[in-house]
Amino acid sequence: MINLTIKQAQKGLQEKTFSAKELTESYLNQIKEKDKDINAYLSVCEKLAISQAEEIDKKISKGEPLSGIAGIPCAIKDNIMIKGEKCTAASKILENYTAIYDATVIQKLKEAGAVFLGKTNLDEFAMGGSCEKSAFFPTKNPHDLERVPGGSSGGSAAAVASDMAVYALGSDTGGSIRQPASFCGIVGMKPTYGAVSRYGLIAYASSLDQIGPMGKTVEDCETIFNVIKGSDKLDSTSTDFEINENKKEKLRIGVPKEYFGEGLDKEIEDSIKKAINYYQASEAEIIEINLPHTEYVVSCYYIIALAEASANLARFDGLKYGKDSKLENPQSINELYFENRTNNFGAEVRKRIMIGTYTLSSGYYDAYYKKALQVRTLIKQDFEKAFENVDIIVGPASPCLPFKTGEMNNDPLAMYLADIYTAPLNLAGLPGISVPCGKSKTGLPIGLQITAPSFCEKRLFDAAKIIEQKT
Amino acid sequence: MISEEEIRSIANLAYLKINDNEIEQLRSDFSSILEYMDKLNEIDTSKISGTSNLSKTENVDREDISKRFDKDLLIGSMPKQKNGYLEVKKVLYND
Repeated sequence: MINLTIKQAQKGLQEKTFSAKELTESYLNQIKEKDKDINAYLSVCEKLAISQAEEIDKKISKGEPLSGIAGIPCAIKDNIMIKGEKCTAASKILENYTAIYDATVIQKLKEAGAVFLGKTNLDEFAMGGSCEKSAFFPTKNPHDLERVPGGSSGGSAAAVASDMAVYALGSDTGGSIRQPASFCGIVGMKPTYGAVSRYGLIAYASSLDQIGPMGKTVEDCETIFNVIKGSDKLDSTSTDFEINENKKEKLRIGVPKEYFGEGLDKEIEDSIKKAINYYQASEAEIIEINLPHTEYVVSCYYIIALAEASANLARFDGLKYGKDSKLENPQSINELYFENRTNNFGAEVRKRIMIGTYTLSSGYYDAYYKKALQVRTLIKQDFEKAFENVDIIVGPASPCLPFKTGEMNNDPLAMYLADIYTAPLNLAGLPGISVPCGKSKTGLPIGLQITAPSFCEKRLFDAAKIIEQKT
Repeated sequence: MISEEEIRSIANLAYLKINDNEIEQLRSDFSSILEYMDKLNEIDTSKISGTSNLSKTENVDREDISKRFDKDLLIGSMPKQKNGYLEVKKVLYND
């Protein structure tokens, strides 16, 4: 029962090589053994997992029809709610919060018979790209324990990469699924905006957030995407719309000129170019394209994300959620709010709320927020224009290799700039996937990012499988 | 560089307190981030409309039926409860 994909695990269950309970126990043991070094999980829900597995074993013994993911253990990012389990978003302000309902994606996974092993670490409220900004502890990269697993879905990525879960769910606001997938050498996919319901996801930036799958193979991600997708009355942005097309015989692949400029690590560049050559050798047509507004992506993204964050996080006043205040004899209700928010939000979250408050404040709204919405239109148009001539766009998922824990602490901008390749997809609402395409000389994973037009997830998976077969 | 006064006023709007020893770091972080954000001014957007919503759908209707949560669970998820209510600290205004 080692390093199984969903398909292999399903085969084992079907052929009764092992029971769902045995499979789950073996994963719980893996967690006990390995997670003291990696710290991928914030909480493990052993009781729930065992009872879910026993339920599936009963169904198997009765010969009931089961879905392809029934009885297979997974990990869930700790900003997605599972009823009766803690949901902290890796923040002290939610340290004691227990979810009272299931997120729609959780409900769909439950209906398909999934087994939940536990909740994985993230940068507090998904704000970060390294998992170092968790209020509890940093997660380590299984490929090199001195290095970060990426973020914000770093716990989910590390759990899958170290085989402490068969697959996982993450969330992606500006790259939070794809960048950790690339850092940990797994597959991570952000669906089209609207393809998956966000009901029950703790919101960071609502016009950008999406939930998506992280797995060992492209096929696993596709399987999970097909379980969690679809419209939901509880998220009015969600839709059943999808584009079903035949597999493209000869792919036209766009390579953005702007993605290979200053700031891109040389080893990553070489690895991505090798992947492009491989596509070319397998009958695809490679077309150089322009995404002229690429240099404005990071500014545009952070203005919009932080403005939305400042509004979304206004609900955390420390009274209805979170910790009871130690403040004695407050002189006003505001004093309580100030005290609770200041003590229980981490420094990065407070900074982001403040920048968002600033760009939305009177006198600055037009210069920052409105301007960013206009530039967002231009970034979206860049992609629309490019997709007139190409089927998919490929490039790096991250400009840098996994860095050492603490290495980026003194440069607040450098971390933000690392979102250059992933954030434009969130701004334009496009689906994207990071698939392993090679390793650095020191053995650190490198991910290729593939982008397709909205709702062309099938095309995305097909294109990713080509690279997967190569490596 | 952004002034201390501005930092304090933003913090106030965001319901956050600032310690005196955090001010200089925040001023410097803010300034470098805002300066980078100012890059957008290189683009003429006078004729461009903004994109705030990527959603395919519009006017999503549903029947107006309230979703019931278990009251004990709801109250139980709060930091402090008493007799089925959220308990908060006594606040006496000193005006």
